[in-house]
Amino acid sequence: MSDHSQSMGEGELVRLVRQGPLALLALNRPDKRNALTPEMLERLLTLLEAPEVLEARAIVLCGEGGVFCSGFDMRLVHADSRALSKLLTVLTGVVRAMRACPRPIVAAAHGAAVAGGCAVLAGADVVVTDRAAKLGYPVTRLGISPAVTVPGLLGMMSAGGARERTLDSGLISGEEAARTGLAHVCCDQPEDVIPKATRLAQHLAEKPGSAVAAMKGLLARLGSGQEDFELALRASLGLVGSGDQLARVAALWPMPGGERSGPQAIS
Amino acid sequence: MSLATLSIDGPLARLTINRPEQRNALSLELLTALHVRVDELTAMTTPSPERTSAGPHVLALTGAGKAFCAGMDLKAVLGSAERSRRLLVLLAELTYKLRRLPMVVVAVVNGPAIGGGCGLVTVCDLQLTFTDNKMGFPEVDMGVCPAVVAPWLVRRIGPGRARQVLLSGGLMSGAEAHRLGMVTECVPTITDLAPAAEALLAQLVAGSADALRATKGLLNTLDGSEDWNTLEDAAKLSADVLNTPETQAMLTKKLGA
Repeated sequence: MSDHSQSMGEGELVRLVRQGPLALLALNRPDKRNALTPEMLERLLTLLEAPEVLEARAIVLCGEGGVFCSGFDMRLVHADSRALSKLLTVLTGVVRAMRACPRPIVAAAHGAAVAGGCAVLAGADVVVTDRAAKLGYPVTRLGISPAVTVPGLLGMMSAGGARERTLDSGLISGEEAARTGLAHVCCDQPEDVIPKATRLAQHLAEKPGSAVAAMKGLLARLGSGQEDFELALRASLGLVGSGDQLARVAALWPMPGGERSGPQAIS
Repeated sequence: MSLATLSIDGPLARLTINRPEQRNALSLELLTALHVRVDELTAMTTPSPERTSAGPHVLALTGAGKAFCAGMDLKAVLGSAERSRRLLVLLAELTYKLRRLPMVVVAVVNGPAIGGGCGLVTVCDLQLTFTDNKMGFPEVDMGVCPAVVAPWLVRRIGPGRARQVLLSGGLMSGAEAHRLGMVTECVPTITDLAPAAEALLAQLVAGSADALRATKGLLNTLDGSEDWNTLEDAAKLSADVLNTPETQAMLTKKLGA
Protein backbone atom coordinates (compact mmCIF):
# COMPACT_ATOMS: atom_id res chain seq x y z
CA MET A 1 0.00 0.00 0.00
CA SER A 2 1.19 3.53 -0.69
CA ASP A 3 2.55 5.84 1.99
CA HIS A 4 -0.56 7.97 1.70
CA SER A 5 -2.95 5.16 2.39
CA GLN A 6 -4.81 4.85 5.65
CA SER A 7 -5.31 1.39 6.95
CA MET A 8 -7.94 0.44 9.48
CA GLY A 9 -8.30 -2.79 11.36
CA GLU A 10 -4.96 -4.60 10.88
CA GLY A 11 -6.17 -7.70 12.65
CA GLU A 12 -9.60 -7.74 11.00
CA LEU A 13 -10.75 -10.58 8.74
CA VAL A 14 -11.42 -7.97 6.05
CA ARG A 15 -9.17 -4.91 6.08
CA LEU A 16 -10.28 -1.52 4.85
CA VAL A 17 -7.60 0.70 3.35
CA ARG A 18 -8.46 4.20 2.12
CA GLN A 19 -6.14 5.22 -0.70
CA GLY A 20 -6.98 8.57 -2.29
CA PRO A 21 -10.38 8.22 -3.98
CA LEU A 22 -10.38 4.44 -3.49
CA ALA A 23 -11.49 2.08 -0.75
CA LEU A 24 -9.60 -1.19 -0.81
CA LEU A 25 -11.33 -4.11 0.89
CA ALA A 26 -8.84 -6.92 1.46
CA LEU A 27 -9.81 -10.42 2.57
CA ASN A 28 -7.29 -10.93 5.33
CA ARG A 29 -6.79 -14.55 6.24
CA PRO A 30 -3.77 -15.31 4.06
CA ASP A 31 -2.60 -18.33 6.08
CA LYS A 32 -5.92 -20.02 5.17
CA ARG A 33 -5.90 -18.85 1.54
CA ASN A 34 -8.57 -16.35 2.62
CA ALA A 35 -11.08 -19.15 3.30
CA LEU A 36 -14.38 -17.51 4.14
CA THR A 37 -16.01 -17.70 7.56
CA PRO A 38 -19.47 -16.31 8.37
CA GLU A 39 -17.82 -13.54 10.42
CA MET A 40 -15.62 -12.59 7.48
CA LEU A 41 -18.57 -12.31 5.08
CA GLU A 42 -20.54 -10.35 7.69
CA ARG A 43 -17.63 -7.95 8.10
CA LEU A 44 -17.47 -7.54 4.29
CA LEU A 45 -21.22 -6.90 4.18
CA THR A 46 -20.93 -4.26 6.93
CA LEU A 47 -18.04 -2.55 5.13
CA LEU A 48 -19.93 -2.46 1.82
CA GLU A 49 -22.58 -0.35 3.51
CA ALA A 50 -20.23 1.68 5.75
CA PRO A 51 -19.99 5.48 5.25
CA GLU A 52 -16.17 5.40 5.08
CA VAL A 53 -16.42 3.01 2.10
CA LEU A 54 -19.32 4.76 0.36
CA GLU A 55 -17.51 8.11 0.53
CA ALA A 56 -14.80 6.61 -1.68
CA ARG A 57 -15.43 6.94 -5.42
CA ALA A 58 -14.49 3.38 -6.35
CA ILE A 59 -13.86 0.13 -4.49
CA VAL A 60 -11.25 -2.58 -4.99
CA LEU A 61 -11.99 -6.00 -3.51
CA CYS A 62 -8.83 -8.09 -3.16
CA GLY A 63 -7.17 -10.75 -1.06
CA GLU A 64 -3.99 -10.72 1.04
CA GLY A 65 -1.36 -13.39 0.37
CA GLY A 66 -1.00 -15.83 -2.50
CA VAL A 67 -4.60 -16.10 -3.70
CA PHE A 68 -7.79 -14.06 -3.76
CA CYS A 69 -10.01 -16.62 -2.05
CA SER A 70 -10.21 -20.40 -1.82
CA GLY A 71 -13.90 -20.58 -0.88
CA PHE A 72 -15.80 -21.39 2.29
CA ASP A 73 -13.79 -22.64 5.26
CA MET A 74 -14.76 -26.30 4.95
CA ARG A 75 -13.35 -27.11 8.38
CA LEU A 76 -16.16 -25.06 9.89
CA VAL A 77 -18.72 -26.73 7.64
CA HIS A 78 -17.34 -30.14 8.57
CA ALA A 79 -17.68 -29.34 12.26
CA ASP A 80 -21.22 -27.96 11.96
CA SER A 81 -23.32 -27.86 8.80
CA ARG A 82 -25.24 -24.87 10.21
CA ALA A 83 -22.11 -22.90 9.31
CA LEU A 84 -22.81 -23.79 5.67
CA SER A 85 -26.33 -22.34 5.86
CA LYS A 86 -24.95 -19.20 7.42
CA LEU A 87 -22.17 -18.90 4.79
CA LEU A 88 -24.61 -19.34 1.89
CA THR A 89 -27.05 -16.81 3.34
CA VAL A 90 -24.48 -14.09 4.05
CA LEU A 91 -22.81 -14.75 0.66
CA THR A 92 -26.10 -13.90 -1.07
CA GLY A 93 -26.27 -10.74 1.02
CA VAL A 94 -22.73 -9.76 0.02
CA VAL A 95 -23.34 -10.27 -3.71
CA ARG A 96 -26.60 -8.30 -3.54
CA ALA A 97 -24.92 -5.52 -1.57
CA MET A 98 -22.13 -5.33 -4.15
CA ARG A 99 -24.75 -5.04 -6.92
CA ALA A 100 -26.70 -2.45 -4.96
CA CYS A 101 -23.58 -0.43 -4.07
CA PRO A 102 -23.62 2.93 -5.91
CA ARG A 103 -19.82 2.88 -6.28
CA PRO A 104 -18.08 0.81 -8.96
CA ILE A 105 -16.38 -2.31 -7.61
CA VAL A 106 -13.30 -3.88 -9.20
CA ALA A 107 -12.40 -7.37 -7.98
CA ALA A 108 -8.75 -8.43 -8.07
CA ALA A 109 -8.92 -12.21 -8.33
CA HIS A 110 -5.28 -13.30 -8.36
CA GLY A 111 -4.19 -16.91 -8.08
CA ALA A 112 -7.52 -18.53 -7.20
CA ALA A 113 -11.18 -17.60 -6.83
CA VAL A 114 -12.85 -20.86 -6.01
CA ALA A 115 -16.40 -21.81 -4.96
CA GLY A 116 -17.63 -19.14 -2.52
CA GLY A 117 -14.61 -17.05 -3.54
CA CYS A 118 -15.71 -17.24 -7.15
CA ALA A 119 -19.31 -16.44 -6.21
CA VAL A 120 -18.18 -13.14 -4.66
CA LEU A 121 -16.82 -12.09 -8.07
CA ALA A 122 -20.36 -12.16 -9.46
CA GLY A 123 -21.11 -9.04 -7.42
CA ALA A 124 -18.28 -7.02 -8.96
CA ASP A 125 -18.55 -4.67 -11.93
CA VAL A 126 -15.09 -5.50 -13.29
CA VAL A 127 -13.10 -8.66 -12.55
CA VAL A 128 -9.34 -8.78 -13.07
CA THR A 129 -7.52 -12.09 -12.90
CA ASP A 130 -4.35 -13.72 -14.20
CA ARG A 131 -3.71 -16.28 -16.92
CA ALA A 132 -2.91 -19.18 -14.61
CA ALA A 133 -5.47 -18.39 -11.91
CA LYS A 134 -7.96 -21.12 -11.04
CA LEU A 135 -11.65 -20.24 -10.99
CA GLY A 136 -14.88 -22.20 -10.71
CA TYR A 137 -17.29 -24.08 -8.47
CA PRO A 138 -16.02 -27.56 -7.53
CA VAL A 139 -18.80 -28.02 -4.99
CA THR A 140 -21.29 -30.51 -6.43
CA ARG A 141 -18.81 -33.25 -5.52
CA LEU A 142 -19.32 -32.15 -1.90
CA GLY A 143 -23.10 -32.44 -2.19
CA ILE A 144 -23.37 -28.63 -2.25
CA SER A 145 -25.36 -26.86 -4.98
CA PRO A 146 -23.81 -23.70 -6.46
CA ALA A 147 -27.36 -22.51 -7.27
CA VAL A 148 -26.76 -19.60 -4.89
CA THR A 149 -24.33 -18.04 -7.37
CA VAL A 150 -26.54 -18.37 -10.47
CA PRO A 151 -28.41 -15.02 -10.21
CA GLY A 152 -25.07 -13.22 -9.92
CA LEU A 153 -23.51 -15.18 -12.79
CA LEU A 154 -26.49 -14.41 -15.03
CA GLY A 155 -25.52 -10.76 -14.66
CA MET A 156 -22.02 -11.47 -15.96
CA MET A 157 -22.25 -14.05 -18.70
CA SER A 158 -24.64 -15.88 -21.02
CA ALA A 159 -27.09 -18.26 -19.34
CA GLY A 160 -25.22 -21.09 -21.09
CA GLY A 161 -21.95 -19.89 -19.60
CA ALA A 162 -23.49 -19.90 -16.13
CA ARG A 163 -24.89 -23.41 -16.76
CA GLU A 164 -21.49 -24.66 -17.89
CA ARG A 165 -19.67 -23.11 -14.94
CA THR A 166 -22.05 -24.42 -12.28
CA LEU A 167 -22.69 -27.95 -13.62
CA ASP A 168 -19.08 -28.70 -14.65
CA SER A 169 -17.23 -28.91 -11.34
CA GLY A 170 -13.81 -28.55 -13.00
CA LEU A 171 -11.74 -25.40 -12.46
CA ILE A 172 -10.89 -23.13 -15.39
CA SER A 173 -7.92 -20.85 -16.00
CA GLY A 174 -8.07 -17.07 -15.78
CA GLU A 175 -7.68 -16.98 -19.54
CA GLU A 176 -10.75 -19.21 -20.02
CA ALA A 177 -12.62 -17.10 -17.43
CA ALA A 178 -11.98 -14.00 -19.53
CA ARG A 179 -13.17 -15.81 -22.69
CA THR A 180 -16.46 -16.82 -21.10
CA GLY A 181 -17.23 -13.55 -19.27
CA LEU A 182 -16.49 -14.68 -15.72
CA ALA A 183 -13.59 -12.18 -15.79
CA HIS A 184 -13.00 -9.07 -17.89
CA VAL A 185 -9.24 -8.46 -17.75
CA CYS A 186 -6.56 -11.15 -17.71
CA CYS A 187 -3.02 -10.24 -16.56
CA ASP A 188 0.06 -12.26 -17.45
CA GLN A 189 1.24 -12.57 -13.86
CA PRO A 190 -0.65 -12.88 -10.55
CA GLU A 191 1.37 -10.02 -9.01
CA ASP A 192 0.06 -7.69 -11.75
CA VAL A 193 -3.59 -8.23 -10.74
CA ILE A 194 -3.99 -5.92 -7.72
CA PRO A 195 -2.03 -3.04 -9.36
CA LYS A 196 -4.09 -3.44 -12.55
CA ALA A 197 -7.37 -3.53 -10.59
CA THR A 198 -6.28 -0.44 -8.65
CA ARG A 199 -5.50 1.44 -11.88
CA LEU A 200 -8.89 0.47 -13.33
CA ALA A 201 -10.63 1.60 -10.13
CA GLN A 202 -8.76 4.94 -10.26
CA HIS A 203 -9.97 5.35 -13.82
CA LEU A 204 -13.56 4.62 -12.74
CA ALA A 205 -13.19 6.98 -9.78
CA GLU A 206 -12.62 9.87 -12.20
CA LYS A 207 -16.07 9.41 -13.77
CA PRO A 208 -18.96 11.52 -12.49
CA GLY A 209 -20.25 9.61 -9.46
CA SER A 210 -23.92 10.31 -10.11
CA ALA A 211 -23.77 8.89 -13.65
CA VAL A 212 -21.94 5.78 -12.44
CA ALA A 213 -24.45 5.28 -9.64
CA ALA A 214 -27.40 5.73 -12.03
CA MET A 215 -25.90 3.21 -14.46
CA LYS A 216 -25.26 0.66 -11.70
CA GLY A 217 -28.82 1.14 -10.49
CA LEU A 218 -30.23 0.50 -13.94
CA LEU A 219 -28.08 -2.58 -14.51
CA ALA A 220 -29.18 -3.96 -11.14
CA ARG A 221 -32.85 -3.47 -12.07
CA LEU A 222 -32.34 -5.16 -15.45
CA GLY A 223 -30.61 -8.14 -13.82
CA SER A 224 -31.71 -10.81 -11.38
CA GLY A 225 -34.27 -9.57 -8.88
CA GLN A 226 -34.79 -10.24 -5.20
CA GLU A 227 -37.06 -13.22 -5.96
CA ASP A 228 -34.37 -14.83 -8.11
CA PHE A 229 -31.75 -14.45 -5.36
CA GLU A 230 -34.16 -15.87 -2.78
CA LEU A 231 -35.12 -18.83 -5.00
CA ALA A 232 -31.46 -19.59 -5.67
CA LEU A 233 -30.52 -19.38 -2.00
CA ARG A 234 -33.39 -21.74 -1.10
CA ALA A 235 -32.17 -24.22 -3.74
CA SER A 236 -28.71 -24.29 -2.15
CA LEU A 237 -30.01 -24.30 1.45
CA GLY A 238 -32.35 -27.19 0.60
CA LEU A 239 -29.44 -29.64 0.46
CA VAL A 240 -27.60 -28.48 3.57
CA GLY A 241 -27.46 -31.18 6.20
CA SER A 242 -28.69 -33.98 3.91
CA GLY A 243 -27.08 -37.38 4.39
CA ASP A 244 -25.38 -37.03 1.02
CA GLN A 245 -23.93 -33.59 1.79
CA LEU A 246 -22.73 -34.60 5.27
CA ALA A 247 -21.08 -37.79 3.98
CA ARG A 248 -19.32 -36.01 1.13
CA VAL A 249 -17.94 -33.24 3.34
CA ALA A 250 -16.93 -35.78 5.99
CA ALA A 251 -14.97 -37.66 3.31
CA LEU A 252 -12.66 -34.62 2.98
CA TRP A 253 -11.13 -35.72 6.28
CA PRO A 254 -10.68 -39.47 5.88
CA MET A 255 -9.15 -39.97 9.35
CA PRO A 256 -11.65 -39.45 12.19
CA GLY A 257 -10.61 -36.29 13.98
CA GLY A 258 -7.49 -36.11 11.79
CA GLU A 259 -6.14 -32.65 12.38
CA ARG A 260 -3.32 -32.55 9.88
CA SER A 261 -4.95 -34.00 6.78
CA GLY A 262 -7.45 -32.39 4.47
CA PRO A 263 -7.80 -28.97 2.95
CA GLN A 264 -8.90 -25.88 4.82
CA ALA A 265 -11.15 -24.96 1.94
CA ILE A 266 -12.48 -26.18 -1.35
CA SER A 267 -9.58 -25.73 -3.72
CA MET B 1 -31.83 -51.75 -35.13
CA SER B 2 -33.47 -48.85 -33.31
CA LEU B 3 -33.03 -45.32 -34.64
CA ALA B 4 -32.10 -44.22 -31.12
CA THR B 5 -30.24 -46.46 -28.70
CA LEU B 6 -30.11 -46.02 -24.95
CA SER B 7 -27.77 -47.72 -22.52
CA ILE B 8 -27.74 -47.28 -18.77
CA ASP B 9 -24.78 -47.92 -16.53
CA GLY B 10 -25.83 -46.93 -13.00
CA PRO B 11 -25.70 -43.10 -12.80
CA LEU B 12 -24.59 -42.75 -16.44
CA ALA B 13 -26.92 -43.01 -19.44
CA ARG B 14 -25.84 -42.89 -23.08
CA LEU B 15 -28.22 -41.95 -25.88
CA THR B 16 -27.05 -42.43 -29.46
CA ILE B 17 -28.69 -41.01 -32.58
CA ASN B 18 -28.53 -44.06 -34.80
CA ARG B 19 -29.21 -43.37 -38.45
CA PRO B 20 -25.62 -43.27 -39.68
CA GLU B 21 -26.41 -43.99 -43.36
CA GLN B 22 -28.29 -40.65 -43.45
CA ARG B 23 -25.75 -38.83 -41.25
CA ASN B 24 -28.33 -39.02 -38.43
CA ALA B 25 -30.67 -36.61 -40.22
CA LEU B 26 -33.80 -35.99 -38.13
CA SER B 27 -36.75 -37.66 -39.83
CA LEU B 28 -40.21 -38.00 -38.29
CA GLU B 29 -39.32 -41.59 -37.41
CA LEU B 30 -35.97 -40.68 -35.84
CA LEU B 31 -37.46 -37.85 -33.79
CA THR B 32 -40.20 -40.22 -32.60
CA ALA B 33 -37.56 -42.79 -31.58
CA LEU B 34 -35.62 -40.11 -29.65
CA HIS B 35 -38.85 -39.09 -27.88
CA VAL B 36 -39.39 -42.69 -26.76
CA ARG B 37 -35.87 -42.84 -25.28
CA VAL B 38 -36.13 -39.49 -23.53
CA ASP B 39 -39.51 -40.55 -22.12
CA GLU B 40 -37.82 -43.70 -20.76
CA LEU B 41 -35.19 -41.53 -19.08
CA THR B 42 -37.87 -39.29 -17.60
CA ALA B 43 -39.70 -42.35 -16.23
CA MET B 44 -36.47 -43.66 -14.64
CA THR B 45 -36.04 -40.44 -12.68
CA THR B 46 -39.67 -39.98 -11.66
CA PRO B 47 -40.12 -40.94 -7.99
CA SER B 48 -42.18 -44.11 -7.55
CA PRO B 49 -42.70 -46.60 -4.71
CA GLU B 50 -41.55 -49.53 -6.90
CA ARG B 51 -38.16 -47.99 -7.65
CA THR B 52 -35.27 -47.79 -5.22
CA SER B 53 -32.77 -46.10 -7.57
CA ALA B 54 -33.12 -42.40 -8.37
CA GLY B 55 -32.02 -43.15 -11.94
CA PRO B 56 -29.08 -41.76 -13.89
CA HIS B 57 -27.94 -38.21 -13.21
CA VAL B 58 -25.64 -37.89 -16.24
CA LEU B 59 -26.59 -38.36 -19.91
CA ALA B 60 -24.19 -38.44 -22.86
CA LEU B 61 -25.77 -37.68 -26.26
CA THR B 62 -23.83 -38.60 -29.39
CA GLY B 63 -24.24 -39.72 -33.00
CA ALA B 64 -23.51 -43.12 -34.54
CA GLY B 65 -21.01 -43.11 -37.39
CA LYS B 66 -19.19 -40.06 -38.66
CA ALA B 67 -21.81 -37.36 -38.06
CA PHE B 68 -23.43 -36.10 -34.88
CA CYS B 69 -26.53 -35.00 -36.75
CA ALA B 70 -26.88 -33.50 -40.24
CA GLY B 71 -30.07 -31.64 -39.29
CA MET B 72 -33.71 -31.90 -40.24
CA ASP B 73 -34.54 -34.45 -42.94
CA LEU B 74 -36.45 -31.94 -45.05
CA LYS B 75 -36.51 -34.08 -48.16
CA ALA B 76 -38.95 -36.46 -46.51
CA VAL B 77 -41.45 -33.73 -45.66
CA LEU B 78 -41.16 -31.68 -48.85
CA GLY B 79 -44.55 -30.85 -50.35
CA SER B 80 -46.49 -31.75 -47.22
CA ALA B 81 -47.38 -28.84 -44.97
CA GLU B 82 -48.78 -31.23 -42.37
CA ARG B 83 -45.66 -33.43 -42.21
CA SER B 84 -43.28 -30.48 -42.04
CA ARG B 85 -45.31 -28.91 -39.23
CA ARG B 86 -45.25 -32.23 -37.39
CA LEU B 87 -41.45 -32.48 -37.85
CA LEU B 88 -40.88 -29.06 -36.30
CA VAL B 89 -43.27 -29.66 -33.40
CA LEU B 90 -41.49 -32.96 -32.65
CA LEU B 91 -38.13 -31.15 -32.65
CA ALA B 92 -39.46 -28.41 -30.36
CA GLU B 93 -40.94 -30.96 -27.95
CA LEU B 94 -37.72 -32.99 -27.95
CA THR B 95 -35.56 -29.98 -27.06
CA TYR B 96 -37.99 -29.07 -24.28
CA LYS B 97 -37.96 -32.61 -22.83
CA LEU B 98 -34.17 -32.92 -23.07
CA ARG B 99 -33.71 -29.65 -21.21
CA ARG B 100 -36.04 -30.73 -18.41
CA LEU B 101 -34.38 -34.10 -17.77
CA PRO B 102 -33.15 -34.13 -14.15
CA MET B 103 -29.62 -35.00 -15.26
CA VAL B 104 -26.60 -33.19 -16.65
CA VAL B 105 -26.81 -33.70 -20.41
CA VAL B 106 -23.50 -33.71 -22.28
CA ALA B 107 -23.34 -33.50 -26.09
CA VAL B 108 -20.36 -35.47 -27.38
CA VAL B 109 -20.24 -33.87 -30.82
CA ASN B 110 -18.43 -36.54 -32.77
CA GLY B 111 -18.95 -35.07 -36.24
CA PRO B 112 -20.94 -32.47 -38.16
CA ALA B 113 -23.84 -30.92 -36.20
CA ILE B 114 -25.94 -28.89 -38.60
CA GLY B 115 -29.16 -26.91 -38.21
CA GLY B 116 -31.57 -28.82 -35.98
CA GLY B 117 -28.65 -31.13 -35.13
CA CYS B 118 -26.69 -28.15 -33.85
CA GLY B 119 -29.86 -27.14 -32.01
CA LEU B 120 -29.75 -30.44 -30.11
CA VAL B 121 -26.14 -29.64 -29.16
CA THR B 122 -27.19 -26.20 -27.96
CA VAL B 123 -29.95 -27.45 -25.68
CA CYS B 124 -27.53 -29.77 -23.83
CA ASP B 125 -25.93 -28.48 -20.63
CA LEU B 126 -22.32 -29.14 -21.67
CA GLN B 127 -20.74 -29.80 -25.06
CA LEU B 128 -17.47 -31.28 -26.31
CA THR B 129 -16.16 -31.23 -29.85
CA PHE B 130 -12.91 -31.06 -31.84
CA THR B 131 -11.12 -28.27 -33.72
CA ASP B 132 -11.96 -28.97 -37.36
CA ASN B 133 -15.50 -30.26 -36.87
CA LYS B 134 -18.32 -28.55 -38.79
CA MET B 135 -21.17 -26.96 -36.90
CA GLY B 136 -23.73 -24.23 -37.36
CA PHE B 137 -27.08 -23.02 -38.56
CA PRO B 138 -27.21 -22.72 -42.37
CA GLU B 139 -31.02 -22.52 -42.35
CA VAL B 140 -31.28 -18.99 -43.72
CA ASP B 141 -29.15 -20.00 -46.72
CA MET B 142 -31.95 -22.39 -47.70
CA GLY B 143 -34.86 -20.06 -46.97
CA VAL B 144 -35.59 -21.82 -43.67
CA CYS B 145 -36.07 -20.04 -40.34
CA PRO B 146 -34.22 -21.69 -37.39
CA ALA B 147 -36.88 -20.50 -34.97
CA VAL B 148 -37.01 -23.58 -32.73
CA VAL B 149 -33.29 -23.50 -31.96
CA ALA B 150 -33.16 -19.71 -31.56
CA PRO B 151 -34.34 -19.52 -27.91
CA TRP B 152 -31.82 -22.20 -26.94
CA LEU B 153 -28.95 -20.49 -28.77
CA VAL B 154 -29.82 -17.14 -27.17
CA ARG B 155 -29.60 -18.82 -23.75
CA ARG B 156 -26.38 -20.60 -24.66
CA ILE B 157 -24.31 -17.74 -26.09
CA GLY B 158 -26.31 -14.56 -25.35
CA PRO B 159 -28.55 -12.54 -27.67
CA GLY B 160 -25.86 -10.53 -29.49
CA ARG B 161 -23.82 -13.51 -30.60
CA ALA B 162 -26.95 -15.57 -31.37
CA ARG B 163 -28.15 -12.81 -33.70
CA GLN B 164 -24.87 -12.89 -35.58
CA VAL B 165 -24.79 -16.69 -35.87
CA LEU B 166 -28.45 -17.21 -36.87
CA LEU B 167 -28.60 -14.37 -39.41
CA SER B 168 -25.23 -15.16 -41.02
CA GLY B 169 -26.01 -18.80 -41.80
CA GLY B 170 -23.16 -20.95 -43.07
CA LEU B 171 -21.04 -23.31 -41.00
CA MET B 172 -18.20 -22.83 -38.54
CA SER B 173 -15.37 -24.94 -37.20
CA GLY B 174 -15.41 -26.55 -33.77
CA ALA B 175 -12.76 -24.04 -32.71
CA GLU B 176 -14.97 -21.12 -33.76
CA ALA B 177 -17.99 -22.67 -32.00
CA HIS B 178 -15.87 -22.83 -28.85
CA ARG B 179 -14.75 -19.22 -29.23
CA LEU B 180 -18.41 -18.16 -29.51
CA GLY B 181 -19.37 -20.14 -26.41
CA MET B 182 -21.45 -22.79 -28.19
CA VAL B 183 -19.33 -25.61 -26.79
CA THR B 184 -17.73 -26.13 -23.39
CA GLU B 185 -14.57 -27.85 -24.53
CA CYS B 186 -12.80 -28.21 -27.88
CA VAL B 187 -10.10 -30.86 -28.20
CA PRO B 188 -7.45 -30.82 -30.97
CA THR B 189 -8.57 -33.86 -33.01
CA ILE B 190 -11.40 -36.38 -33.20
CA THR B 191 -9.17 -39.01 -31.56
CA ASP B 192 -8.92 -36.80 -28.45
CA LEU B 193 -12.71 -36.56 -28.14
CA ALA B 194 -13.56 -39.88 -26.48
CA PRO B 195 -10.90 -39.59 -23.73
CA ALA B 196 -11.93 -36.01 -22.96
CA ALA B 197 -15.61 -36.99 -22.91
CA GLU B 198 -15.01 -39.95 -20.61
CA ALA B 199 -13.02 -37.74 -18.20
CA LEU B 200 -15.84 -35.19 -18.04
CA LEU B 201 -18.51 -37.88 -17.66
CA ALA B 202 -16.52 -39.54 -14.85
CA GLN B 203 -16.24 -36.19 -13.04
CA LEU B 204 -20.00 -35.62 -13.36
CA VAL B 205 -20.87 -39.17 -12.29
CA ALA B 206 -18.73 -38.69 -9.14
CA GLY B 207 -20.65 -35.51 -8.30
CA SER B 208 -23.69 -35.44 -6.04
CA ALA B 209 -26.88 -36.27 -7.97
CA ASP B 210 -28.92 -34.12 -5.58
CA ALA B 211 -26.64 -31.11 -5.95
CA LEU B 212 -26.48 -31.37 -9.75
CA ARG B 213 -30.26 -31.78 -10.06
CA ALA B 214 -30.97 -28.88 -7.72
CA THR B 215 -28.55 -26.67 -9.64
CA LYS B 216 -29.95 -27.62 -13.04
CA GLY B 217 -33.53 -27.09 -11.86
CA LEU B 218 -32.68 -23.61 -10.64
CA LEU B 219 -30.86 -22.78 -13.90
CA ASN B 220 -33.90 -23.91 -15.88
CA THR B 221 -36.21 -21.76 -13.77
CA LEU B 222 -34.06 -18.63 -13.97
CA ASP B 223 -33.08 -18.77 -17.66
CA GLY B 224 -36.57 -19.31 -19.09
CA SER B 225 -36.03 -22.94 -20.10
CA GLU B 226 -39.48 -23.88 -18.80
CA ASP B 227 -41.26 -21.56 -21.19
CA TRP B 228 -43.05 -23.87 -23.65
CA ASN B 229 -45.18 -21.20 -25.37
CA THR B 230 -42.19 -19.55 -27.06
CA LEU B 231 -41.08 -22.90 -28.49
CA GLU B 232 -44.58 -23.73 -29.69
CA ASP B 233 -44.81 -20.39 -31.50
CA ALA B 234 -41.33 -20.93 -32.91
CA ALA B 235 -42.29 -24.32 -34.39
CA LYS B 236 -45.32 -22.73 -36.03
CA LEU B 237 -43.26 -19.85 -37.43
CA SER B 238 -40.62 -22.21 -38.78
CA ALA B 239 -43.29 -24.40 -40.43
CA ASP B 240 -44.98 -21.36 -41.99
CA VAL B 241 -41.70 -20.20 -43.53
CA LEU B 242 -40.90 -23.74 -44.69
CA ASN B 243 -44.23 -23.96 -46.48
CA THR B 244 -43.91 -20.72 -48.45
CA PRO B 245 -43.72 -21.30 -52.24
CA GLU B 246 -40.30 -19.59 -52.36
CA THR B 247 -38.75 -21.93 -49.79
CA GLN B 248 -40.45 -25.01 -51.23
CA ALA B 249 -39.07 -24.16 -54.69
CA MET B 250 -35.57 -23.54 -53.30
CA LEU B 251 -35.54 -26.78 -51.31
CA THR B 252 -36.89 -28.80 -54.24
CA LYS B 253 -33.99 -27.53 -56.32
CA LYS B 254 -31.33 -28.02 -53.60
CA LEU B 255 -32.47 -31.42 -52.38
CA GLY B 256 -33.20 -32.71 -55.86
CA ALA B 257 -36.58 -33.98 -54.80
